[in-house]
Amino acid sequence: MINQIKAIYEYREMIFSLVKKDLRGRYKGSILGFLWTFINPLLQLVVFTLVFSVIMRAGYEQYYLFLFVALVPWMFFATSVQDGSTSILREKDMVKKIFFPREVLPIATVTSGFVNMLLTFIVIFIVLIFSGRGINLIAVICLPVVMIVEYILCLGIALIVAALTVYLRDLQYILGILVMALQYLTPVMYGIDIVENSGAPSYCIQLFYLNPMTPVIEIYRDILYYKQVPQLNTLLIALGMGIVFVMIGELLFRKLQKGFAENF
Amino acid sequence: MEDNNNAIEVSHVTKTFKVYYDKGTELKEKILFWKRNKFENRVVLNDISFSVKKGEAIGLVGRNGCGKSTTLKMLTRIIYPNSGSINMNGRVSSLIELGAGFHPDMSGRENIYTNASIFGLTKKEIDARLDDIITFSELEEFIDNPVRTYSSGMYMRLAFSVAINVDADILLIDEILAVGDANFQAKCFNKLREIKNNGTTIVIVSHSLGQIEQICDRSIWIKNGQIAMEGKPKDVHLEYLNFMNQERIDQQEKERLKQQQNEMKAREDEEKRKKEEAEREKRNRRYGTGDAKFTDIKILDKDGQEQTTFRTGEKMILDLSYHVEKPVKDAVFGYGIFRSDSLWVYGTNTRIDRFDIFDIEKDGKYVVEMPNLSLIPGQYWIDVTIEFGDGNPVDYYKKALNFEVVSNTQDVGVARLDHDWKLEI
Repeated sequence: MINQIKAIYEYREMIFSLVKKDLRGRYKGSILGFLWTFINPLLQLVVFTLVFSVIMRAGYEQYYLFLFVALVPWMFFATSVQDGSTSILREKDMVKKIFFPREVLPIATVTSGFVNMLLTFIVIFIVLIFSGRGINLIAVICLPVVMIVEYILCLGIALIVAALTVYLRDLQYILGILVMALQYLTPVMYGIDIVENSGAPSYCIQLFYLNPMTPVIEIYRDILYYKQVPQLNTLLIALGMGIVFVMIGELLFRKLQKGFAENF
Repeated sequence: MEDNNNAIEVSHVTKTFKVYYDKGTELKEKILFWKRNKFENRVVLNDISFSVKKGEAIGLVGRNGCGKSTTLKMLTRIIYPNSGSINMNGRVSSLIELGAGFHPDMSGRENIYTNASIFGLTKKEIDARLDDIITFSELEEFIDNPVRTYSSGMYMRLAFSVAINVDADILLIDEILAVGDANFQAKCFNKLREIKNNGTTIVIVSHSLGQIEQICDRSIWIKNGQIAMEGKPKDVHLEYLNFMNQERIDQQEKERLKQQQNEMKAREDEEKRKKEEAEREKRNRRYGTGDAKFTDIKILDKDGQEQTTFRTGEKMILDLSYHVEKPVKDAVFGYGIFRSDSLWVYGTNTRIDRFDIFDIEKDGKYVVEMPNLSLIPGQYWIDVTIEFGDGNPVDYYKKALNFEVVSNTQDVGVARLDHDWKLEI
């Protein structure tokens, strides 16, 4: 495994250039170009604000912020899993013709989503300031920790599903449904308190706590919405699961990558 | 590595591909048509072993589908052998797929970074090579334009320049020297030589034997997944070409026999049509008084066997039988050979060759022997004629016979003239 990490490190420039290509190529050809990276979440936020303050009033004050600070990291997770699963398939022409550590592809996909999230956070901060909610600088210091934990978690899952999807194409569609379902087992649109007070059966609540994304999203919200210094120890399980996923993913890759070029 | 002087060691490698007769990937297909999921294992490489010394250049030759590209792909680590092992010693770069990861909207310079990074170069390493790459590609003026504005030649030049500047210990090349114009090709060739002189190990797959002979120290001929011969490129290639020519002759023979069979089958129901056709033929390809007519015409080889493919220099015999309807006085037999592009290669008749005047009164035949068919490889046809007097056609049969000439010498022109070389150098 050490050797493989070394080999991937040798190809770091390839990861960078794939990420760059993805970020720059995403809005290529549009008039606003790279600006869409910022405009897109901003417009999303405008829609939320309108919907949740006019059409449907939710129980949280400034619900659009409550939702937005959780939805952005959730979207990073969702796209990592879904785009990650097709990351090898999408580049099959390259995989069929050139040697490079195949892990580079899911790593680049997840990293590109991560950078995209970081850029969206610029929008989040601006909105937090202008909406009058403000920022707690001490709490914000904890933000990189939760981001890194989420990155590791996403990477592990992306590695696993990328290798498997080459052999089982149905997985990409199954994942679409699974990720959608998982969103409702994660406190994205509602807080964990609502679930606990809703009278849902206890196994249901346990599912929430088994889900490693629950503490991750909760901590994002603590930092940005509640402006509290979060209790980072709740992240330990998520971190542990992330590391285990990465190791499983790497093992799967080592086993399965030999057949990639013959399975397209 | 068994031997530290080796850059590549391939030992007992076998590779099989599953070939599905009709693969169904969906569950529905798998259940309903489970019979279709039968597959056969096609053995592409069968227990081959070879090694390449550091700094050595070898060429892999063989007919299409013999497994040479598969070998190269395994050396590149894109696919893996079913059994056996491959050891590579050093950094590998492959010129198999040029321009991988090129983005049309990005500039040439940016694409150099993307493309080189796929070869495993770090930013620092690319920076150090950037000038060399741009200079080599001869694209200085265009390097900051988006790649989509490039011509296909420029595109390939840029891609090749990146690949060749990677500074690998082992360079794998698959049919690449068809890049750009003649000048750029020459440049690539020189660069390859330079790389070789710097001690890089090179493996080339190519159908251009000349290129291999110029660069490689050794050739390996792969036949049906096994090594048929290895050694000095010139020796191996001669054997290989001989084999290929023989194949070709056999193939022609097979096709001819098949055709004959088909004709037999089709003969009955075609009888009618043939009559009509013969009428038309008479007008188009056959004309003359019809007093005498060719009946059975054949090309024979030196053993008297019917043949349509000859090697340059072999003996060829025309065996032409005719039927006489009405006696022909002052008859002249003749024939002419034409190349497929209608070039009249040779023609003569009994009058030109100063025969005494003769008449024909009953069925007979004439035979023309050409002991040394000195034609250059190509497709040819033969016109055969019976005339009387001073060139009046009795049966002028155009394109009566077809044959092909093959050779493993690449001289050019129309015919091979006997010659000797005396060099005083």
